Amino acid sequence: MMILHRVYISPDKVIVNGKALELTEKGSALLTQIYRSHIGNYPKFFKMDTLCKLGFVASELLLNAEGNRNFEPREDRAVILFNRSASLQADTNYQSTIQDSENFFPSPAAFVYTLPNIVTGEIAIRNKYFGETSFIVIEENDEKLIEQNLSVAFQDTDTKSIIGGWLDCTDEENFEANIFLMEK
Amino acid sequence: MDELIYKLKQEIIEALNLEDMTPEDIDENASLFGEGLGLDSIDALELIVLMEKNYGIKLQDPNQGKEIFKSVKVMAEFIQQNRTK
Amino acid sequence: MGGRNMIVSIANNITSPLGMTTAENYAAVKAGKSALKRYEGHWGLPEAFVASLIDRSNFTDTRYTIVEQVVIHSVTKALESANIDTASPRVLFIFSTTKGNVFLLDKREKGFPQERVRLGIMARLIASHFHNPNEPIVVSNACISGVCAQIEAMRHLESGNYDYVIVSGVDIQSAFIVSGFQSFKALSPEECKPFDANRHGLNLGDAAATIIYTRKDTVSENEWCAYRGAIRNDANHISGPSRTGEGSYRALKHVLGDIDTQIIAFVNAHGTATPYNDEMESIAIDRAGLANIPVNSLKGYYGHTMGAAGILETIISMQAIDDNNILATRGFDTLGVSREINVTNQNQPTEKTAFIKLLSGFGGCNAALLMTKGGLL
Repeated sequence: MMILHRVYISPDKVIVNGKALELTEKGSALLTQIYRSHIGNYPKFFKMDTLCKLGFVASELLLNAEGNRNFEPREDRAVILFNRSASLQADTNYQSTIQDSENFFPSPAAFVYTLPNIVTGEIAIRNKYFGETSFIVIEENDEKLIEQNLSVAFQDTDTKSIIGGWLDCTDEENFEANIFLMEK
Repeated sequence: MDELIYKLKQEIIEALNLEDMTPEDIDENASLFGEGLGLDSIDALELIVLMEKNYGIKLQDPNQGKEIFKSVKVMAEFIQQNRTK
Repeated sequence: MGGRNMIVSIANNITSPLGMTTAENYAAVKAGKSALKRYEGHWGLPEAFVASLIDRSNFTDTRYTIVEQVVIHSVTKALESANIDTASPRVLFIFSTTKGNVFLLDKREKGFPQERVRLGIMARLIASHFHNPNEPIVVSNACISGVCAQIEAMRHLESGNYDYVIVSGVDIQSAFIVSGFQSFKALSPEECKPFDANRHGLNLGDAAATIIYTRKDTVSENEWCAYRGAIRNDANHISGPSRTGEGSYRALKHVLGDIDTQIIAFVNAHGTATPYNDEMESIAIDRAGLANIPVNSLKGYYGHTMGAAGILETIISMQAIDDNNILATRGFDTLGVSREINVTNQNQPTEKTAFIKLLSGFGGCNAALLMTKGGLL
């Protein structure tokens, strides 16, 4: 297995292939700043929960680093992400719409994000990836365990490359992405 | 009516996170789905919640939404006729 | 089998409102029973719903949440017929759940630390109940999780990383989940009717289900093999299924490979009874050349058991073939999808010994798993 490109994002740092990006904002505002300065023209971004925003901007930076983006449908690339908190931020947000029985208005737009694998779907939709998408929850960010789980994913004979790695978010201001593009 | 239309536009922008839009950007006669604002099925469900929460209107059949959400103007007219708060 | 390792199911369990063992569950399903019931004012929800719920009063161990107790019960029962030492580092636990202990987010819930809402913490607690030393993994891929967890198990066994994998899926319903599906207008006001012209949505259900897999180089004709699995995305919409059944069709195509489809007894579909899901699946099944193969759905017996569904429905399908039976689709009467697929409306005999488990979920994900009995292929 070979890692071709890597993107790291924390609330105050963005690193693409070892090089820090010059950005001024922090936390949730940082994600919006990355979107505006490096991506743009995808208003669905603003509808996403924090985990999806994080995964979306991180995968965009990763694929921009890969270059030659043509958005042609493909089935040979998988998206397999890992974290500790599943969809906790979205879960908490949805819970707030049903917590008070006097003010009980369950929000479908909040509920739809209460699954961690939605972010893998958002990345697949953006890039027209028909390949495998999967989300695995583990308690520790253990790179060896992640690599073990990614290496076996190549047993699917159609899978030639994977966007994989860690994508965690506990609330709107606290998150960490460490994702990479890897080949067999 | 104009006041309700303006308020409704603000509420739609907030409820659906149409971040880069202002009420002035929304044509009250333009279609909310498909070509117009480009909303999707989840947005339609969220608009049903908005009508219940802000105007006390309960839509039992989500298919009713297809008629009501034709445009902001049609929606405002429906709200004016049916609101309970 | 030309030297290919086979991934073999050696034990299983279903813990559901229809029974605490696989045998009880299969007997109930074969007899056409269901635990679907209408609940009014339940959990303080303003809207009534129809669901298949486990009687919480049967689970009284205060150390564990209801979710954890149901999984522990299911794994314990499965282990009774498997001669393995769960304390061995050669054994891995893979869990499959969508919402785990999410009910703990409700501020009115007391009695358990909030961190138990984390799936990894819940998984560790259960793995350590069985003295397992490995870090458990939790597959959380919406409604396809149960098949994904089995595929993950197949891969870890094939690679030789482990000798046994205990795959256990669970979801227990709560106000959180039911109100969310209500906000989606996805719940049926009556018992669900998969693939039927009068279907109006799904029912939710409680269950845990467990399969223990191992790797063998030869299999006897009575042993079940997880032959090939695939996960594919629609790349279309995060909640609406693809109009062309794209991901489901591609997953089917991959698992079928070049095998003769005539060996397949049936396709056990997702068949949630929502208008869009069943229509999408009919398109995918037809496109994959399976329109003549019997199709059934088990949602009319259990409701949609989410993280447990892929495992529970695989077990019931294995039991059915062991009994030379293709199960009826409870709730189905008149075909209500655009493709002429062969949905079963009564139990029928079969001599065939392979089936496909099919699932689809939010996030545009789809999964297919080909199960075969004996060294047939």
